[in-house]
This record gives sequence, C-alpha cells and structure tokens, in this order.
Amino acid sequence: MDALKVEHLSQSYGGLRILEDISFSIKPGERVGLIGPNGAGKTTLINVLTGLLPSMGGRIYILDQDVTHMSPNRRVSRGLARSFQINTLFTNLSLLDNILLAIQGVKPSRFQMFRPLTTYKDILARAQELLNSMGLWEKKDGLISSLSHGEQRLVEILLAIASRPKLLLLDEPSCGLTRGETTHLSHMLRSVMEDTTVFFCAHDLDLVFSLAERVVVLYYGKIIAQGTPGEIQAHPKVREIYLGTTA
Amino acid sequence: MSALNKEYKNRLLRFTPHIIIILFLLTLPTFTDLAIVSLVTRILIFGLLVMALDLVFGYTGLMSLGHAAFFGVAGYTTAILIKYYHITSFWIAAPAGVLMATLLAAVFGILALRAKDVYFFLVTMALGQLVFEIFNTSTSAGKLRAMTGGSDGLGGIPYPDLGFSFSPTSYYYFALIAVAICALLLYLITKSPFGYSMQGIRESETRMRCLGYNIWLHKYIAFIIAGLFAGVAGVLFIYFNGFISPESVGFNTGGLILLMLILGGKGTLWGAVIGTGVMLALQYFVGTITPQRWPLIMGGTMVGVIMFFRGGIFPLSRNLWKRMRR
Repeated sequence: MDALKVEHLSQSYGGLRILEDISFSIKPGERVGLIGPNGAGKTTLINVLTGLLPSMGGRIYILDQDVTHMSPNRRVSRGLARSFQINTLFTNLSLLDNILLAIQGVKPSRFQMFRPLTTYKDILARAQELLNSMGLWEKKDGLISSLSHGEQRLVEILLAIASRPKLLLLDEPSCGLTRGETTHLSHMLRSVMEDTTVFFCAHDLDLVFSLAERVVVLYYGKIIAQGTPGEIQAHPKVREIYLGTTA
Repeated sequence: MSALNKEYKNRLLRFTPHIIIILFLLTLPTFTDLAIVSLVTRILIFGLLVMALDLVFGYTGLMSLGHAAFFGVAGYTTAILIKYYHITSFWIAAPAGVLMATLLAAVFGILALRAKDVYFFLVTMALGQLVFEIFNTSTSAGKLRAMTGGSDGLGGIPYPDLGFSFSPTSYYYFALIAVAICALLLYLITKSPFGYSMQGIRESETRMRCLGYNIWLHKYIAFIIAGLFAGVAGVLFIYFNGFISPESVGFNTGGLILLMLILGGKGTLWGAVIGTGVMLALQYFVGTITPQRWPLIMGGTMVGVIMFFRGGIFPLSRNLWKRMRR
C-alpha cells in the first residue's frame, strides 16, 4: 500500500503547461522532499494533491483510494492535511480558536449548534497539548496578528497536524524564517514526522536534505530526478540547475 | 479574600451594562408612555431580524441584501392565513409564517450560494427584489394581488389569540420574551462548533476547506437558520404592526437592516441590537421634529460611524468600558 500515489498528473494555466506527466509514490511513514527552482510547479502540485486545483489528467491515490475527483474536505477526511507557503490563518480569531477550528475539522461535532465549543474536553485537551508542544499556550488568548512571523509559521504547521493526519503536505514550511527559527522548526518537524507520512517542498536545501529520506526534483513541471539525498546531490542535472555546473 | 472580592467586583462590573439593559427593558412600560413602548417593541423585532442577518453577514461573511424577503414572506404568510383562510390560531399561523421563510431561505440559498463576494450580494438583492415585485405588482388582477393587496399592502391583522387579550404593553412583553429566547439560541449557535466554523469561513475559506469543512454546506445551513430567525421576526412584526406592505420585503428594508448592522458592529449579536436601537430611535425622534430631513441625517450618521467608529458602535463601546474598568 502507498500513502500517496500519483500517476501521469498534469495541470495547465491556459496554454501554459505547469505540471506534465508527474508520477511518483510515497510509502507510509516515508519523508519525501520536493525541490525545484522558482516556477517549477511545486505549490501547484501541492494544490492539485489537496484538491484546491483540479487535475487536468492523471490520477491521485491516497492510501490506495482514488481521490482524483474528490473535494478538498473529503480528501482531508481520508487523512490528508496541508500547510501553506503564505500564512493562511484566521487572523481575527484568537490563537486558541485557530487551533480549536483545526481540531474539530474532521470531527462530527463540527455541525453541533447548541453546545459551546469550549465544553468539548477532548478538543481542548488536544489544543493544550499542541500549543504546549510549541510553548505557545500562554499566548492562547491573543489574536494571531499579535504573534511574530516565526510563531505564525509554527501555528501554520500546528493547524495542519491538529487533526492527526496520515499524510501531511507542507508547502515551504521554513518560508521567511531566520536561521534560528528554521532550526527550531526542523526539530518540531522531526518530532511530527515520526509517525506521519510527509511530503514537503522547500527552497532551503539544507532543511530538505536533513529531513527527507527521499527527494523528488521538479523542473519546469516535470520530474527530472528522484532518489536519496545523496543521489540527488550527485545528480548532474540537479547540480546544473542549482549550481550552474555539473562538476 | 481580597482576591475573591476583586474577582467578584470585576465580574459585577463586566455585567453591569447587561444588568442595566435587562432592568430597563423589564421596567420600561412602568415609566414611559405607549409611544416609547411601541418604539422599543419595534426595536426588539427589528433587532432580531438584524441579529439573523448578522449570522450570515457578520459571522459567515456573506453580505446579503435580500434578507428582508424572509421577514416579509413570514409576515405575509401569517397575515394571509389569518385574513383569507380565517386561521386565527397563533400556533398554526405563526409557525406557518416561519416555515415559509425557512423554505424560501432554503431555495434562495441554493441559488445565491452559487455566487461569491459581490456577486452573492447582487444575487441576494435580485432575489429580494423578485419577492418584492411579487407582492408589489399592481398590474396583476389575479388571486395573489387580491390577497396581498399589491402596493397597498395587507392590513387588519389582530394581536395573536393566546386565550387572553393583548394590549400594546402585554405584546411588548410577549415580543421581549420571544426575542430573548431567539437571542439566546443565536448566542448558543455563535459559541458552538458550528458558530466557530462560520467565523472560520468568514476568515479563510481556503484554509477551512483544507481543514475538512464542507464550506458550501456550512454556508447553506447558516443561510437557512438566518432565514428562520428572520421569519420569527416577520411573524412578530405582523402581529405587532397589524399591517404589512411590499416595503417590508424589498431593497429598502434589506438595505436598512444592513446599515443597522454596520452601525452597531457586525459579528456581535449585541451590536446588531444596538445598531437597530440607534437607527430606529433616531428615525423616531428626527421624524417628530423634521421628518423630511431623515434620509439626510441617516446618511450623515452612517458617514460619521464609518469614519470615526469603524467596526461599529458596540465594539468601540465595549473596548471603552473595558478600559474604564481597569
């Protein structure tokens, strides 16, 4: 069984081909990084996998179930979750409310109308656990806008992992972070990744090579290489793209 | 001991405005004349309508201009049942009005929620006008015109028959209880998981979708619930006013309640009631002095609120009260 299997996936914006004949698979528990220069189609691929963009050809399987034509929320109920490159948080709600919303997203109680959300002890306990893990519990009542960019990036990932997904897609998790914040994030991701299948894209190659067991390289919408970090670092085409030389 | 006293004092201070408002509403008929009692009854009824709109606009982020249609349809349904079908039982005529409003919201929701943002606003305006024209049409010689009275409206609806005779004062208390129950239910909804989902949708639909929420279904349910409570307001209105005209259904009322909500502060149920109170009280007092200047004064008030009280009167007053308590 594969956690994620993609077969001949394609996507275009008008006449411009963004993704072309993309095929790869990820085993349960595997950590796979996605790299590629700007405009390679990394975010588009994640958007297609989550269902925010329709695929124009090919098939997507999550845990061997065909989700190609499923809406994003139905994919989430199959165990998928994602984070965004640009913070997509509920800025006018408190930090705790953000986390509560993320936890209850896959629970049947999300349609409950006459019981206050704060009386759900299991949801509150999970929120406390998540916020404590990042040292953010003390800031739970503040608005998201009162948090620093680094803290907001952590919340962005907390929202993605709140529902205990089976397959986690992270879009540029270290985007806009300082070196120190990236190190902190890297520790956090390592603990998250222990029992979750993760597919993440990043520009920070150090982060990718330190976290990923396998790396996929995307270049102008096509996969040009797949392999272990060592294989990818030695791949002549990848070296040419990133270093301008094959030496 | 002193910490306990401080906490008790803080809590008392926090709820002081609520206590004052509740005492004011409970004792109002004992110290004022019937005209003011009638004005406050109207504020309560429209306050409920604006709270219902707040659920859609303030909490879910869907700016609707057709919300008055549900209010009007409920009023018309109850009035037609009483006047032409002689169904005087409150327990049949009133729920029938609310049911019609809810059904209309269910139909409108399917149509309007196909659009987004400003297009949603325009579709709800068009649907509201459609209902307005159905009730307003004076060229139609059909049965509908005979029953609705066309642009002349439909009048002569008595107070509800509940086994005792109503007076303006007793109807005020009846409306107060009904609105209080509805406000409590609306409050519970806003604090429930579903209420939080609505706020999440208002903040970021994309994120909500990626958290597992069926956005369309949540919006649709919110739209229907808002239609139901608007229907309750419409039924309370027809029994209170005894008369309903197409004006209560169309663009004018739809726009006015939107302004009331913006004035009071959207996304807060108290703001909806306060906005309604300020607007209707101003209309009443300006109307007694210089009625022809009312539109000018209303426009000026809106400009003033948008420029100096951005976010509405209630959020600003709440923040001021918080600062004073410190």
